[in-house]
Amino acid sequence: MLLEVRDLQVEFRTRDGSVKAVNGVTYAVDAGETLAVLGESGSGKSVTAQAVMGILDMPPGRITGGEILFQERDLLKLKEDERRKLRGAEMAMIFQDALSSLNPVLTVGDQLGEMFVVHRGMSRKDARAKAVELMDRVRIPAAKERVKQYPHQFSGGMRQRIMIAMALALEPALIIADEPTTALDVTVQAQVMDLLAELRREYRMGLILITHDLGVVADVADRIAVMYAGRIVESAPVHDIYKAPAHPYTKGLLESIPRLDHKGRELYAIKGLPPGLMNIPQGCAFHPRCPLAQDLCRTDVPPLYEVTDTDGARHSACHFWRECLHGRADS
Amino acid sequence: MAEPILEVSGLVKHYPLTRGILFRKQVGAVRAVDGVDFTLHRGETLGIVGESGCGKSTVARMLVNLERPTAGSIKYKGEDITRLSGRALKAVRRNIQMVFQDPYTSLNPRMTVGDIIGEPYDIHPEVAPKGDRRRRVQELLDVVGLNPEHINRYPHQFSGGQRQRIGIARGLALRPEVIVADEPVSALDVSVQAQVINLMDRLQNEFDLSYVFIAHDLSIVRHISDRVGVMYLGRIVEIGRDAEIYDHPTHPYTQALLSAVPVPDPEARDRRARIILTGDVPSPTNVPSGCRFRTRCWKAEDRCAREVPVLAVPSRLRTTPTGPEAHDSACHFAQVATVVAGQGNGPG
Repeated sequence: MLLEVRDLQVEFRTRDGSVKAVNGVTYAVDAGETLAVLGESGSGKSVTAQAVMGILDMPPGRITGGEILFQERDLLKLKEDERRKLRGAEMAMIFQDALSSLNPVLTVGDQLGEMFVVHRGMSRKDARAKAVELMDRVRIPAAKERVKQYPHQFSGGMRQRIMIAMALALEPALIIADEPTTALDVTVQAQVMDLLAELRREYRMGLILITHDLGVVADVADRIAVMYAGRIVESAPVHDIYKAPAHPYTKGLLESIPRLDHKGRELYAIKGLPPGLMNIPQGCAFHPRCPLAQDLCRTDVPPLYEVTDTDGARHSACHFWRECLHGRADS
Repeated sequence: MAEPILEVSGLVKHYPLTRGILFRKQVGAVRAVDGVDFTLHRGETLGIVGESGCGKSTVARMLVNLERPTAGSIKYKGEDITRLSGRALKAVRRNIQMVFQDPYTSLNPRMTVGDIIGEPYDIHPEVAPKGDRRRRVQELLDVVGLNPEHINRYPHQFSGGQRQRIGIARGLALRPEVIVADEPVSALDVSVQAQVINLMDRLQNEFDLSYVFIAHDLSIVRHISDRVGVMYLGRIVEIGRDAEIYDHPTHPYTQALLSAVPVPDPEARDRRARIILTGDVPSPTNVPSGCRFRTRCWKAEDRCAREVPVLAVPSRLRTTPTGPEAHDSACHFAQVATVVAGQGNGPG
C-alpha cells in the first residue's frame, strides 16, 4: 500500500473551544489507483489531505491521534525537514485555485524550475529547459515562449495545467488533487481531468481526488470514500457505490442530483443542513437528516461495518447498512 | 403556448476599451453580448447555459435594467423597457426581480433579515403599507421555508442555503411576474442545491412566475427549464425545448458541452463518446469572423469564416418540421448527434 491513513484525528482550537474537524478517518491508496474523497464543505476532506501533506496550519490545527503511513513510514513521526524532502519529490498537491496558488510576480518558468533547483540542485539554465519540457508534457502550446510569462497571462485551464506540471515535476508517487477542476468550465474540466488520468497511468502514481462532484468521481475514480462531519461514512469500489449505496447519506446525495439524460420530477432533497463542527449530533452525526434513523442511531456512534453482501471491499458507518443497501425500510 | 412576457431582440452590450487619459479614444470593445434574441412566455422557465465569459450574466443584468444595452430591445408585455426612465422604469422594475449567485455577498451583513426582505417596500411603498410590512416579511420567510421568528437575525447567522432563501424572499417581496436568477445554486452544497431547486419549482406554481434561469450546470438547467438557450461568446448558438436541446442537439458546441459533463454513473465511463474541445474560448475583444465557434470546431470549413450563421431552424433539418431536430441552431452544418442518451440506470 502506498498510503494508509489510520484513525486520523485533527482538532482545531477556536475561541469557543476545540472542534474535531477530522474524527477517525481511515483510508488507503495504492500505486496507480485513484481514490476519490467525496464530501460537502466542512466534512473534513481537505483537512485530512493537508494532514497527509504536512501543510496543516499548526496551530490552530493539531493532530491528536492516528497514523499516516506513506511507503511504510509513519509520517507523523518524521522530523519537519524530512517531511519537507518528501513534499514535491514523493508526494505533491494540486489546489483548486491555481491563480492564488501561483506566485504572481515570478514567471511560470521560474516557479516550475524552482522544483529542480531546490530538490535536484540543477543550474537555473537546466531547470528552465526542464520547465519547458514539463509545459510540453501538459500540452501547453508554444511552451518555449510561454515559459517566460506570468500566471495572469494564462487562462484558468492553462493555469491548472501549470499546477499539474508543477506537481508532476519530480514524478512523485502520490498526488493529492483538491477540487482541481471546480473553478473551471465543463469543457476545460474535461480536458484537465483527461490529462490528469493519462499522466497518472503513465507514471503509475496514486491519486487522491478530493471533490464534491459525483459526476467527476464516476468518471475517474477506482474507489470512493464518502465523508460526513469529519468521518468516513462509506467506502467502496466506484461501481458498487453508484449501483447500491450502503449509507443513507450517499444514497441521498446520489438521488438529489438532477440528471442530464432525462428531466425527472421533483428532486429528492436530504432534509436539513450539514451540522456545524461545534455541535455534531450525538450518536450517528447524520441521524437528524436520515430517513432510516432509529433510537440506536441517536445514542450509538456507528463503527465502520464491513459490508459483506457484495464482492468488493466495502465499509459503511450505518447501523442499518443492510436496509439501505437493499432499499428496505426506505421512506 | 402562453403569451410572451419578455421579448428580447438584437440585444448587444459592448464595453469600450479606451486608451489615453487626457485624450481618450476608443481602441476596441469587449463584445460581451453581441446580438441575442429570445422570448420568455408567461409561466415558463427559460434556461440559459454557457461557460464563463459567454455573456449570460450580462444578459441577466440587462433584463433587470442594471445595465443599459448598447443596442437592441427588451420588451416587457410589448413595451420596450431599455429606454425607460423615472416612474415608468420603477414600475417595470417592480415586476422583474433578480436572485443573485452569491448569497454571501448579495446580502448586506449589517441589515437584519427583516430589513433586507422589507427594503423593496421602501422603494415601492404602494405594495405594502408601513404597518403591514413586518407581517408581510414574516409571510415571505414562511413561504421560502425559513422560521418567521428569525426576522431579527443577521445574514451571518444563516447557512448558505438559508441565505439563498432570503435572497429569493427578497426577490418575491414585490410580487413580480418575472424572476431572473443568475446561478442561484452554484455556491451551495449538493444536498442543499436540491432543496433550493425544489423551492423555486414550488414558488413558480404558487405565484405564477416566469423564470430566466442562468447557470453553467447543464443537469440543473435541464431539470428546471422548459426551454434552454445555449450561449457562446456573446450569442445564443442553439435554443429549443429541453428535450430538443439535450436529446437532439444540432450545434457542435452544444454537443461538445453536453458530452463534457461528467455523468454520475461509472458504467457509462467507457460507453460515452466524449468530444474534447481543443484550446480556449477566444477573447470577446477579438471575436473570430463568421461563426464564432469555428476556431474550436471540428466541422469548420471556409464558409464558416466568411458567413455568420443565423439562429434559425437549419434548412437541412427542415424536412420534418415537427421533429425534435427542427429547432433554432446557428450552424451551417447543423446535424443531430446523440451525446447524452442512454447514460445507464443510476439510482433515481
